[in-house]
Amino acid sequence: MKRILCSIAMLGISFCALAGDVTGKVSFDGKAPAAARLRMDADKICARAHKAPVMGEDVVVNKNGTLKNVLIYVKDGLGGKKFDAPKDKVVFDQEGCVYDPHVLGIMVGQTLEVLNSDPTLHNVHSLSKANTQFNQAMPMKGMKLTKTFDKVETFKVKCEVHPWMGAYIGVFNHPYYAVTDDNGNFTIKGLSAGTYTLEAWHEKYGTQTMKVTVDASGKATADFKYSGK
Amino acid sequence: MPEEKPNIPVEQKDYSKLYLIFSAILFLGTAWAVWDEVKVRRPWKDYQEGYQQLLVEHLDSLRAAAESELDSATVVDLNAQRDKAVADLQSEEYQEAVSQKNVLLKDLDLATREWRFARSRSDAAYYSYQKAMLEGGDAASAKAEVQKHEDDIADYAKEIESLNAKIAELDVTINKYNDQVEKLNAEITGMFATINAHTLKLERTREMPIAIRQVMLNDYEFTPFQEIKARIDRCQTCHAGWAEPLMADAPQPYTQHPLPELLSKHNPESFGCTPCHRGQGPALTAGFAHGDDDHYWETPILRGIDVYATCNSCHVNETVLKYAAPFTKAKQIILDSGCNGCHNIKGFEEAPKIGPPLNSLPKKVQADWLFRWVRNPKDYNEHTRMPNFKLSNEEAEAITAFLMDVGKDAEFQFTRSRGSYAGGSSARGKLLFESVGCQACHTVGDEQTVRTNRALTFDIAPELTRVGSKVSADWMFDWIKNPRHYNPETRMPSLRLTDDEARNIVAYLNTLKDTRTFERTALDLNNPDKIKFGDKLVRDYGCFGCHAIKGTENEGKVSVDLSDFGRKKYEQMDFGNTHELSHDDTTEYQENSDGTVSVKHSWAGWVYGKLKNPRLYETERIPQRMPVFTFNDEEIRLIRMFLTSMTKDVPVANYQHNFNKRQQEIEAGRRLTQYYNCIQCHEMEGRGGYILTKYEEEAMGPPKIFESQGAKVQEPWLHEFLQGPTTIRPWLDIRMPTFNLTDAEISTITKYFLGTSKQELMIRDYAATPIDSKYLAPGRQLFDAYQCAKCHPAGRVSSDEVSASDLAPNLTMAASRLKPEWILSWLHDPQALQPGTRMPAYFYEGKGPDESVFDGVETEQIKALRAHVWSLGRQRSTASK
Repeated sequence: MKRILCSIAMLGISFCALAGDVTGKVSFDGKAPAAARLRMDADKICARAHKAPVMGEDVVVNKNGTLKNVLIYVKDGLGGKKFDAPKDKVVFDQEGCVYDPHVLGIMVGQTLEVLNSDPTLHNVHSLSKANTQFNQAMPMKGMKLTKTFDKVETFKVKCEVHPWMGAYIGVFNHPYYAVTDDNGNFTIKGLSAGTYTLEAWHEKYGTQTMKVTVDASGKATADFKYSGK
Repeated sequence: MPEEKPNIPVEQKDYSKLYLIFSAILFLGTAWAVWDEVKVRRPWKDYQEGYQQLLVEHLDSLRAAAESELDSATVVDLNAQRDKAVADLQSEEYQEAVSQKNVLLKDLDLATREWRFARSRSDAAYYSYQKAMLEGGDAASAKAEVQKHEDDIADYAKEIESLNAKIAELDVTINKYNDQVEKLNAEITGMFATINAHTLKLERTREMPIAIRQVMLNDYEFTPFQEIKARIDRCQTCHAGWAEPLMADAPQPYTQHPLPELLSKHNPESFGCTPCHRGQGPALTAGFAHGDDDHYWETPILRGIDVYATCNSCHVNETVLKYAAPFTKAKQIILDSGCNGCHNIKGFEEAPKIGPPLNSLPKKVQADWLFRWVRNPKDYNEHTRMPNFKLSNEEAEAITAFLMDVGKDAEFQFTRSRGSYAGGSSARGKLLFESVGCQACHTVGDEQTVRTNRALTFDIAPELTRVGSKVSADWMFDWIKNPRHYNPETRMPSLRLTDDEARNIVAYLNTLKDTRTFERTALDLNNPDKIKFGDKLVRDYGCFGCHAIKGTENEGKVSVDLSDFGRKKYEQMDFGNTHELSHDDTTEYQENSDGTVSVKHSWAGWVYGKLKNPRLYETERIPQRMPVFTFNDEEIRLIRMFLTSMTKDVPVANYQHNFNKRQQEIEAGRRLTQYYNCIQCHEMEGRGGYILTKYEEEAMGPPKIFESQGAKVQEPWLHEFLQGPTTIRPWLDIRMPTFNLTDAEISTITKYFLGTSKQELMIRDYAATPIDSKYLAPGRQLFDAYQCAKCHPAGRVSSDEVSASDLAPNLTMAASRLKPEWILSWLHDPQALQPGTRMPAYFYEGKGPDESVFDGVETEQIKALRAHVWSLGRQRSTASK
């Protein structure tokens, strides 16, 4: 439908921006630090929730040599355009005393639903600076609480009861962000034609930026590369 | 004989041209005078017009933006809905209801009237009945008559009730229609609220008269002849936007004042501007108002940080001001540097000596170290507070001889045998030194967290990088075990080190040596002439301003009183051999290639030069004794700002800040906590906490002391804790030291905490706080459900919960430590009381997570939890008895 509308519009206007996608991969070379096994002995409920050993998620290198949990987002190029927060909520779960997902993106004003799927006490403490910090206890299994953020910021969330638990939340004022998956891939959807600065953020290896141009065909690629130190 | 009048000829000459010319000149002169008076000499009119124009532009664009943001479709929709709702008022249902209601209202009127009549008749009948009773008439029939009327009243009342019920029924229908109209009208108005507000403000701005805005402060200050005089400020005539948030980024003179919060306490509409900014209040041109064009105006406008000087006019007794960080820092510098040792300074008359007593030095240091120290302390420790007196070798030798002589028969004796320090491990000592809290005051080598965070050129306690070459190990062991043994008045606290811990630290500190080599100077210490000369030098240089030295107890301050120094005139200052720097120069102190120095020849320039190099103005004939400090540019400017404030011109008492009892108590606490360096570790009132950045996680460092502290802990507990600190947070490596505070000092701290949390000191028996038994069982249930024991040990927690004690204080302490009211607010919202705390909030939108207890109602659940926590302490205290 959009295409048809656009074609009609193109009769009168010489240029029509089609929505495009930026896809890419975050590769990793060099030596990855050995993932630390999480010792959950301090809380038997956590330890019992897992049969296999649980590894820390601060650096997750996928089997294909790519890096998981990298947050990619448009840093510049949207020209002050305003976007409405989507109605659907983002779920942030605590299961087996691990946060799921480990890294997530959310829009200003969008609802974050924090869920406790463990029959033990968790507290969700946001170490945000621009947004008001919150630190909420969730002592019962199945408890839910909702939060919204009003400032753009990437911050850590932690649980003081279980010191190994940590996750990161990126708050954006636009919907153009993604997190790399088990294959190190990401897709940012719906960008109109133009040149943008993309930024990749990793909790341990920091940020990288890259210019990317979405042309009239509506496709663009952006591959990042991190290396272990 | 009448004399003949002389024949005076009639003037023949025509002056009309001259008249014309002169009247033209007169006219032009008048016109010019009017123009000059109305326009040229009133540049403020242009400013006001400019301000008006700027504000109108702002408001116009805001209104336009609001209009464009207005969802016109919604407005159209709402209007249509409203029109429909109005049309619905003509509907049959509504009209029918209204007409029925009107009929019923008439009936109600009638019924009410009849009811009143019946009551009157009943009263009359009752009178007849009473009369019949008293006078022996027919009481029975009279009573029947009364009864009949009473029945009538009841009937009418019933009728009124039923009519009212019917009316109420109709009102439901009627209101349904009316409410709809009102609701829609309100919604429409709401949508236009922003636009209307902007329009209103626009109209007001356009109507703003072009006029002088002046504030008059009657009875504001004293003339030099001690007569009360008024002050008039017209600054707001040009600075018209000071209160307007839209002018935050506007150019001067329209800019909004940068500290609106501050102005809420110093309202310029009643307080004016010059009390803080100085300048010539009544002047209406920038040059004269600011003082740049009027060199005879004694108080020109204060620029940059200098504006904070005037805080001292009213806040002379305070050292911490919330909105004046430079003022607070300047006072910290003055206090820490011990300026009051030599100078009398208003507000610091009672400030304590900053240096240690020098009566037992031979037990502590070697004479040759002392000699080198006296000659130039900065050579041993660049960041020491002790300034350099630039003494000659002979003078330094004499002072050394004198001090060694004073300490010859010191009472201090080592209590342990020599060598008992030995046997420690320097590696373990280093770890301990770095964790237990020594670094909160002392830096060593590259570890300079506290120095960096204090952001001052001098340390509060000696750097220990070379301490192994300064003091003997025996002294060091004795000192860190109990600092009060050597110096009963020292601020150095005890960290309650065991002998082994102390030995380890001594072993570590002994590895910190001065690796430089010094030429050995042969010192003649026993020569009575030298000792006498040393005594004279100590008195001349005023060493006793900072140090207690036997024999100097009755000496006064050796230098000038600074209490009116801010008014000293440039003409009264001697600039020695310095050259003059131009007033427009950006540098304040210039060292020339020929060895001379240039400074600005003004009050500010003189002060800068003096603080940069106190011997700067020395000449052959005029010796100078002030020792050389190593203040940096920022510190010099801060001290200079403070000196600007040293003037006897202060407002009359009415304008002074009310330094009431609570303020005095808070201020005493601030000074004491600065004196004992509490603020090195604990952040209080936004100052201090210098060591905190050493800790990756805030909870692992010393706790911040929030302004609510006085509302948090019980006074008896605080007293006991400050006398002998006990462990509250077992996860901390850093220890709260024992300061051996006197009862009076503890009371000062207690009142300080109470003061900042706006609490009154009350004698309360906290142990007798009643526990409502209905809360006990639910409290225990919630305590378990909320898994409080996951983090808080509470006496009955089994030891395999390994993480517990590392996270939160033991709750058996609560009943004897915390105020019961505080527990309620703490459980409600911990972050609000202690931002960043690890304690999570359990309650969310008035509900607790477990709804099976008290239906989840937060206030009840909190009371229950408190009851349980309170009972934990009781169990323990009964058990221990």
